[in-house]
Amino acid sequence: MAREIVVIGGSAAGMGAAGAAKQVDPEARIIVFTEQQDVAYSPCGIPYVHGKEIDSFDRLILQGKKFYEDQGFEIHYETIVGGINTKAHTVSVPAMGDVRYDSLVIGTGFQYERPDIPGVDLDGLYWVRDLRNAERWDQLLDGVKTAVVAEAQPIGVEMATALAHRGIETHLVDPHPWAMAEIADPDIMAPVEESWRELGVNLHFNTRLEAFLGTDKVRAVRTSDGEIAVDAVVMGTKKVPNNRLAAEAGLKLGSTGGIIVDQHMRASAPDVFAAGDAVEVPQGFTGVPVQGLSGSHAYAQGKVAGSGAAGKLRDYQPVYVPWGLVGGKWMIGGVSFGEALAGALGIPFVLGIAEGISRARYYPDFKKIRVKLLAEPGTLKLIGAQLVGGEGVKERCDFLAMAARKGLTLHDIAWMENVYSPAMGALNEPMALAAQNGLSKAR
Amino acid sequence: MTRLFWWVRTNSQKYLLEAVQADLAQRYLGRPPPVGRPSLQRAFWKYVFVPLYRRLPWNVKHTVIKAMPGSHHRDWSAR
Repeated sequence: MAREIVVIGGSAAGMGAAGAAKQVDPEARIIVFTEQQDVAYSPCGIPYVHGKEIDSFDRLILQGKKFYEDQGFEIHYETIVGGINTKAHTVSVPAMGDVRYDSLVIGTGFQYERPDIPGVDLDGLYWVRDLRNAERWDQLLDGVKTAVVAEAQPIGVEMATALAHRGIETHLVDPHPWAMAEIADPDIMAPVEESWRELGVNLHFNTRLEAFLGTDKVRAVRTSDGEIAVDAVVMGTKKVPNNRLAAEAGLKLGSTGGIIVDQHMRASAPDVFAAGDAVEVPQGFTGVPVQGLSGSHAYAQGKVAGSGAAGKLRDYQPVYVPWGLVGGKWMIGGVSFGEALAGALGIPFVLGIAEGISRARYYPDFKKIRVKLLAEPGTLKLIGAQLVGGEGVKERCDFLAMAARKGLTLHDIAWMENVYSPAMGALNEPMALAAQNGLSKAR
Repeated sequence: MTRLFWWVRTNSQKYLLEAVQADLAQRYLGRPPPVGRPSLQRAFWKYVFVPLYRRLPWNVKHTVIKAMPGSHHRDWSAR
């Protein structure tokens, strides 16, 4: 009899799991439940369609529904799972009754933190999440003259840039002294702020949101610094795990609110796996669990979970969290810890900073890049990095995450070999310069 | 119990970050610290917890943090 694998969630984690399960056990019956009208699209691309860098939402869809039908997946769109019974090995689906599983993968993703202020349920507040809602909002944005982006978490940063590109008068309101202050350092975000000002974005840092005002639809935002009249508000708040189902099923949750999993992405009940924004995994240097990583983390975790659900256990590893995004005209990124996060936890570090360029200084369109490396005192092992630049940020973050994973030190990076080709790379690699700077401080 | 650990982590993280953001904002940008709504809870975390935490050496802090429940207590030996 074919193994029955139920997957809850049709995003990166869920579809990664479904695909991996099919690879491991082609005979398995794979049933996917998703609340949305589509599966396997890239929600991370939504701000770039709003900003007109990408011309259509269709481009964000990786595969159409027919593809999954042809592959033998049983996908139930716009279907809400009401509960999980881990003892009976069933999920309850209002329209279908109890659906039995041999193994279950939970990929329920995230939800946005809702600010505890009046007016948060008004119309006109845009929570950027699913494709169809984004399409509807894209049409509405054509009629928007003034918008507030409420908080400068990563989605807020991307949406402030997108709205400004679109010519909307944009106000970014955040209680912190700089954008993405829980993740990025102020010197990394300074060029982004400058480019936002060039784009006409009105920055309201050190400013608290106090209420969304209006009767049915939002017409203004009250802040600690006064009122801003708006046509729409884009919510840029923090992502938190969407774990109601898991919690009600009695699965163990950690201090982040994420589902507790082991290296095989197994949750705390037999034959239940979990992946993506709903889970927490250990950070490599500290061992402390972290949650809410990127789509690529969710997809890889989904693959591990789906493979296990189909009978072949694979190993996921503690994470070093390379990240990156575009803010204004700059690319920003990092690995694990910056000064803010390491400082908050109280992790001691040696700092190396350098500014370099992305190509030879005489080659057209070279871009500046600032690299900041954090290393453990004594061993000088890399524990974190932050970067801002015009290009080459992603590749350096990927490299530095692997360097941290493998225990490379500032000594290793300071005298690393690097590509020198005028159109692709400068003589002096900025990461090496930052490591050299760190070494001179460590002496 | 899970809720309690979540509450401790969420608040400790928030106020420890705010304290370091205040330092970095002053150093790099010459700006004031993050703004928050005054409350007894805020006063406790800001004026009692943060100064106490900052006095502890990293290895003590690390031991306490790692004692909290989470995925790191499951098997990750393949690392």
